[in-house]
Amino acid sequence: MAERVKITVDGEEFESEAGTLIIRAAQDNGTYIPRFCWHERMNPVGMCRMCLVEIETPRGPMLVPSCTNTISDGMVVHTRTETVKSAQEAVLEFLLINHPLDCPVCDKGGECPLQDQTMSYGPGESRYVEIKRRYEKPVPISALVNLDRERCILCARCTRFADEICGDPLIEFADRGNATNVTTFPDLPFSSYFSGNTVQICPVGALTATPYRFRARPWDLKKANSVCQHCSTGDRISVHTSQNEVLRIEGVDSDATNHGWLSDKCRFGFEFIHAEDRLRVPKVKEADGGFRDASWAEALDLVASKLAAIKAEHGAGSIAALGGARGTNEDAYALSKFMRVAIGSNHLDCQMDDGLDPQFLAAVADRATINDLDAARTILVWGPDLKEEHPTLYLRVRRAAQELGATLIVVHPRTTGLHDRATHTLAYKPGSGPEILAALKAGDGALAAARQALDSGPVVALIGRTGYTESPRLAEAVAAFIRTLPDAKVLPLARRSNVYGALDMGVAPTLLPGRASISAIGCANLAAEWGEFPNVAGKDARGIVEAVAAGDVKALLLMGADPVRDMPSGADIGGAEFIVAFDQFLTDSSRLADVVLPADGFGEKSGTVTNVEGRVQKTNVVVPSPGQSRPDWSTLDDLGRRLGVELGLKSAEAITAEIAHVAPAYEGVNWELLEWDAPDGAVLPLDGIPQPLQYVPADVAGKPERAPLVLHYARTMYDDGVLMRHGKSVAPLAPGGFAALHPDDAAKLGVADAETVLVKTAV
Amino acid sequence: MKAHPSVITKRMSDHPTDSNTMDRYEATGGYVQAKKAMGMTRDELVELVKSSGLLGRGGAAFSAGMKWSFLAPARPSYLVINGDESEPGTFKDRQLLERDPHQMIEGIIIAAVANEVHDAFVYIRGEYPKPARRVQRAVDEAYAKGYLGKGIFGTDYDLEVTVHLGGGAYICGEETALINSLEGLRGEPRLKPPYFPAAKGLYMLPTIVNNVETVSNLPHILERGADEYKALGHDLDTGTFLFSLSGHVERPGNYELPHGITWRELIFDVGGGIPGGRELKCWIPGGASAPWFVPDEHLDLEITKDATGKALSMLGSGAVVVMDDTTCVVKAAERIVRFFSHESCGQCTPCREGTTWLEMVLRRIESGSGRTVDFDLLIEISDGISIGLDWPPKMTTICPLGPSAVSPIISITKYFKDEVLAHIEGGGCPMGVDHG
Amino acid sequence: MSYWSESTQQRAKEIIARYPKKRSAVMPLLYLAMAEDGHVTEEGMEEVGRWVGISPAQVQAVASFYTMYKRERTGRYLISCCTSISCMLLGGDDILHAVEDESGVPHGETDPDGLLSVEHVECIGACGGAPAVQVDYELIEGLTPEKARELVRWLRKARPDTVLSDEMQELFGSRTSFDWAISEGVGATGPYPAFEPYGTTGGDE
Ligand SMILES: Cc1cc2nc3c(=O)[nH]c(=O)nc-3n(C[C@H](O)[C@H](O)[C@H](O)COP(=O)(O)O)c2cc1C
Ligand code: SF4
Ligand code: FES
Repeated sequence: MAERVKITVDGEEFESEAGTLIIRAAQDNGTYIPRFCWHERMNPVGMCRMCLVEIETPRGPMLVPSCTNTISDGMVVHTRTETVKSAQEAVLEFLLINHPLDCPVCDKGGECPLQDQTMSYGPGESRYVEIKRRYEKPVPISALVNLDRERCILCARCTRFADEICGDPLIEFADRGNATNVTTFPDLPFSSYFSGNTVQICPVGALTATPYRFRARPWDLKKANSVCQHCSTGDRISVHTSQNEVLRIEGVDSDATNHGWLSDKCRFGFEFIHAEDRLRVPKVKEADGGFRDASWAEALDLVASKLAAIKAEHGAGSIAALGGARGTNEDAYALSKFMRVAIGSNHLDCQMDDGLDPQFLAAVADRATINDLDAARTILVWGPDLKEEHPTLYLRVRRAAQELGATLIVVHPRTTGLHDRATHTLAYKPGSGPEILAALKAGDGALAAARQALDSGPVVALIGRTGYTESPRLAEAVAAFIRTLPDAKVLPLARRSNVYGALDMGVAPTLLPGRASISAIGCANLAAEWGEFPNVAGKDARGIVEAVAAGDVKALLLMGADPVRDMPSGADIGGAEFIVAFDQFLTDSSRLADVVLPADGFGEKSGTVTNVEGRVQKTNVVVPSPGQSRPDWSTLDDLGRRLGVELGLKSAEAITAEIAHVAPAYEGVNWELLEWDAPDGAVLPLDGIPQPLQYVPADVAGKPERAPLVLHYARTMYDDGVLMRHGKSVAPLAPGGFAALHPDDAAKLGVADAETVLVKTAV
Repeated sequence: MKAHPSVITKRMSDHPTDSNTMDRYEATGGYVQAKKAMGMTRDELVELVKSSGLLGRGGAAFSAGMKWSFLAPARPSYLVINGDESEPGTFKDRQLLERDPHQMIEGIIIAAVANEVHDAFVYIRGEYPKPARRVQRAVDEAYAKGYLGKGIFGTDYDLEVTVHLGGGAYICGEETALINSLEGLRGEPRLKPPYFPAAKGLYMLPTIVNNVETVSNLPHILERGADEYKALGHDLDTGTFLFSLSGHVERPGNYELPHGITWRELIFDVGGGIPGGRELKCWIPGGASAPWFVPDEHLDLEITKDATGKALSMLGSGAVVVMDDTTCVVKAAERIVRFFSHESCGQCTPCREGTTWLEMVLRRIESGSGRTVDFDLLIEISDGISIGLDWPPKMTTICPLGPSAVSPIISITKYFKDEVLAHIEGGGCPMGVDHG
Repeated sequence: MSYWSESTQQRAKEIIARYPKKRSAVMPLLYLAMAEDGHVTEEGMEEVGRWVGISPAQVQAVASFYTMYKRERTGRYLISCCTSISCMLLGGDDILHAVEDESGVPHGETDPDGLLSVEHVECIGACGGAPAVQVDYELIEGLTPEKARELVRWLRKARPDTVLSDEMQELFGSRTSFDWAISEGVGATGPYPAFEPYGTTGGDE
C-alpha cells in the first residue's frame, strides 16, 4: 500500500494515496475538476489546460494543471478561485473560437463534454469575429470511423490511444500551432482493431462511428451494462438501445478486465442481433430436406420422442452434445444437467477440438488473474496471437510491458501483435515447439536472457495453442515448466466467450459443475440434486464426431455450436440419426439438424458468464427475444419434462442459485452480489471457498513434427463466423482465408504474393 | 563607460581568419582546460562552476553549477548543447559557432566530465548550416587529435559528440521540446514537473541542457578560477555577456560586455545611437519574448538581471532590438505576435488559439478594420494566456512561448495606447506604414 | 529494400549509429529523403519510417512539425526572406516584395520550371545584418530591394551548382551581423541545409 497523505481541496481536508494526480484525488473526494485531454487510462499530457487549479507554494499561489501534478502531504489546492475561473473561462473561449458549434447535427450533441462544460464554466458569448479554421469534413479515417477536424479540440486522446494503448500509431498530429490537426498518412487508414475506442473517448464529436452516425440522440437511448460475448476476456460493456434495438455498445471501465476499451468486433459486432434471418420459430426438417416452421410443442415432442427412442434402443451413450460456450452459465448448466441427468451421458463438450484439456483450462493450479499482469516483472505469452483472439487482454499485456515495465517474452511461430513490445521474441518453425521449449528450459545461448527473465518474478504466463494444428500437450508442458519457476502463475487461454463458464458448469467429458473432476464427485449437494449419473469420462468433441461417423453416437445436440465450420479438421456429422440444434441462425451445422430450436442470444437473456481468469459477471436483457425464441435452459427444462425428468430449471436467477448450491467453486455467487457488491464480477472461488480440483499440468511436450511444410492453422479477429457474417459493419472487414508462407518456402514452391493456393494436409 | 576585456570573443578578434581552427585554438591555449578538467572530480567541477556564478545564457539565466548539481544519479547521462538560437533579435550563438567552435567543444568536454556524460549532442538550428559545418569540422579535428572519441586525452574516458541539425522550429530552443526533437518526436515541450531534464531528460535519463555561450565560458572559468571570472562581470551577473544589438541603431552587432552599464550607454555609446538623426521610440531589452522599454522610464536603468526584472522585463538571450520614432508599434507588435503564433507548437489551447487570435486582431487594427472593442479585447485575450498580465507571467500554458506573445501587447497598450487607438479610430496606420 | 542510393543508405546507417535510439535519426534522415527526391515525398516518409522503425503517420507528424521539411515540390533554389522584427524594421518586407515581384513567385510557391521557390520566414539569426535572405539556407546579409532583384536574376541565369554564401554576399550583400572573416567554398546543392554528414554539400574548402 502506498503512503497516504493529507491534502486540502477548497478548504476540505482529506487523505489520499501519495502520488495520485490532483484531478483524481479531488474527484475521489467529490470535487470534479473539468478536463478534456486527461483520460484516466492514458498518460497525462496537460494540453487542454481546462483542469488548471491553484496550489499554494511558499512563493504564493501557483496555477498548475491538476492532471499532471501529483499530490503531496500538506498540499493545499483551490479549484474555484478567481484566477482559476478566469483560466477556465479563457480556455473554453479559446476552444470554442474555432469550433463550428453545430451541436444540433452532431452525434455527440447531448453527451458532449465540451457542450456540458461550456454550460457550466464557459463565457457568455464569443467575442471572436475572425474567420474560423476550415477543414474538409468529415473524412473517413477507417471503415468504421469518421473525423471532423473542425470539431476537434486537439486533446490528443485519439492519437495517444493509437500509440500508447493499442500500438497502432496510424493517426497522429500533423503540422503545428494553429494548423495542428489530427490525420492519418495518405492511403494508410486507421485500420486498427481498436479504432472505435477513439470515438468513445473523443470529448467532442470530432470522431464518430460510421455505424452510429445520425442513428439516435443520446437522450433517446436506454443504457444497460453487460458483458461482451465475442471473446473470453469478459469485457464490461454498456449496451445502448432505443425502441428495442441495440444501436451502440460502449466500453465500461472495469479495473479487472478491459479498462473501458473494446475491440471493434465487440463494439460494432452486434448487428446480428437484429438480422433478418434470425431464427424466430422452431423448424422441423421435411422429407425433401427443407425446413418447415413448427410450434414449440410439436418440435419439442419430436425431439423428446426421438431422443427417448434412441436412448432406449442404443443406450444413453449414443447421445452426445456439443456447444454451450457461447451462452450463459445458466444455459451451460442446463445442458450439463440435461445430458447427465435426463439422458445419462457424459459425451458432451463445449470446445471444438481447438482448445486445451478442460481440467487445465478450468482448474489449473496457480492460476493467474488479469490484474496479476500489472504486478508482473516478467510476462510470457506462448499461445495464440492475443491481438487476434483476446483483443482486450492483448491491450492489458501491452500496457504491462509498455507502461508498467514488465519484461515481455513472446513465443510464436509468426510475428504477433505483441512483438513490437516484446523484450524477447522466440520464433520457431511450426511443429518444433517441443524443441524450443526444451531450449528455453535449458536457457542456452540466445535464450539465456529470456530464461533468466523468467527467474525474476512475479511471472505471469499466458499459455494456449499458437495454432490449432499444434498439440494441446505443448501448452500444458509449457505450463508445467512455468510452475517450476520460483514465483509464477499461469493463465491458460481459450477463445470462445463463455468457454470457461461452460467448463465450470461441466460441459466437458471430464468435468462436473464447480471445477470438480468427473471421477471424484466431492459435492454432496450435487449428488443430492442430480441423483444418479455416470461418473466415467465421456467423449470429447473429436471423439463425439468420430463416434458419429462410426455410428456409435446416433443423436447429437448442438447448442450454439457449429462444428462443421469450427472444428479445425471439420466435422462430418451428416450421418447422425438425429440432430437437434439450438441456435440463432441456420449455420453449416444447424442446417444438418432435424429440428432447429430458436435460441435467445446476447442481450436477450440474463444470467452469468465466466471469463478467462475465472471471473463471474452478470449479463442483462437489453432487447426482447425475436419471435418465439427462448433461452436454452428453458427449452432444456421442457425437454427434460417430456423425457420424464423434472430438471427444475425455473428461471435464470434460480439456476444461478442452484449452481451456487451444487457447484463447489461457485459457492456464494448470486445476482445480488454481482449487481451490487461486485459490479466488476468476482474471481472464483470466493475468498475462503475451496476449489475441488487443482489441476497440475503434465510435462509431456510430445514430439516435434517433421515435414517439409507444416500447416499452422490460426484465426484472425474478423472471420466468417456466423455472428460476424450477420453484421453489416464488421462483415466486410474479414480478410478471408489466407496462407502465409515463409519467403524461402514460397520461392521453392514457385508461389508468388497474392496467388491462390490449395492447402492439403494429412492431419 | 569603463573599459571591458573581451573573453569569449577574444580569439576571434585577435585572429579573425583562423580562429575556428585547431591549430589556432591550440596555439592560443586551447584544450589545456579540458585536460585539466579530466583530472578533476564531478564535485570539484560543479563546485567551481557554482561559485563562478555562471548563469545560463540561453535566456532563463539559471545558475549553471546549480543545474549540474541537480543531475539525477541514473546513468547514462547526456549533455545537449542548445544551439537552436531562434529568438528574433538573437544572433550571438551563430558567431560563437562559426568563429570559435573549439571553444565550445572544450566547454563540452568540461561539462561532460562534470556530469559523467559520454554522449553529447549539439543541436543547431537547421537554418544555420554554415555554423554547423564549422562545428562539425572542429569536432572532426578534435576526434583526430584524440580529444573526442574513445579514451580522450589518453585517459579511459570516452566522449562522443554528435552535431544534430534542427528542422525549423523556434520552440525546439525550449529545452524539453529540444529533447523531444532529438528523440525524433514532434518538438513539443514536455511538462515540468515531472520532466525536468536533469532528472528525466533525453530518453528519460538525466540530461544537462546548456546554451552554446554558457559552455563557451567554461574554459575561461577553469583558466581564471571562480573569483577572477566573477570579477569580469558585475555583481550577481558574473562574467561577460554577449548582447545582440539590432534594429534602428548605427552599429548593430554582437557586443561582449559586462552587465551594469546603462541602456543609454548600450544604445548610444556602444551602438552609436539612432541613425538619420531620428529619435529613440522604444526597445526590446531581451529578445522578442520580453516586454519593451521606453526612453522616459528605462534609458538610465542599469543593465542587470535584477534591475530588468524589477522593471517587469528580462534580459533573456541578450537580444536588444531598437525602434526609432518612425516605427509603427502596432505593426511591430503584430510582427512579434505573428512570430509566436507561427512558432507555437500547438499542443496547449491558450497558446495555439490565443496567439493566433491576437495576431488576427492586430492585423485587423493595422489594416484599418479595428473596432473600438478591440483594444480591450487584445488585453482580455492576453489575460487568458497570462492571467492578470503579471510579470513573471501567471501562465495558463505549458511553456513560456504563449505568454511571450503577450509581451508586445502589454507594451503597446501600456506605453502607446494613443497610437493603437489612433489606428482604430483613424481606420488604419497613422504613420502611413503599409501593412503588407 | 530501400529505393535510396547506395551512398544515401550508407549515410543513413552511419547517422543512425550516432544515436542511442534509432528514432532520434528521423530528422537527419528526412534531410536525406529530401536530398534523394528534391522534397519530402510520401515514399520518402515511408522509407524514413522503415529505417527508424516508426509508422509513416509518425514520420509525417514529425516532418510536418518543422518548416524545413518541404512536403511539396520545391525549387532548386529556395529563397527565404526574413520578415521578422529586426529585418522588418529595416525593410525586410520590401525585400520580400522585390523577390516576389522579380521572380513572379509568391510566398510559399514554386515557379513552373521548378527553379525558384520563394517564402518569407521568421528570424534567421541575421538581425545585425538586416535585412537578410537565405538561398538554400546560405545567408546573404544587408540586402536592398534592388540587390534582391539582382539576386533573383542571377540565380535564374547563373544557376550555380553550389550555392555559396560568400559569393552571394560579395555580389548582393553589404553589412553583416559580425565580421564573417573566414571565407568558405562549401555550399548548398538543393533546398535543404548543406551539411557534410548528410551528404548535402557542394564545392570545396
Ligand atoms: C520558447 C523558448 C525558446 C527558447 N529558445 C532557446 C534557444 O534558442 N537557445 C537556448 O539556448 N535556450 C533557449 N531557451 C532556453 C532553454 O529552455 C534552456 O533554458 C537553455 O537552453 C538552458 O541553457 P542555459 O542554462 O545554458 O541557458 C528557450 C526557452 C523557451 C521557453
Ligand atoms: S505555450 Fe505554446 S509553444 Fe509552449 S507548449 Fe503551449 S502551445 Fe506549445
Ligand atoms: S485535463 Fe489537464 S490539461 Fe487537459
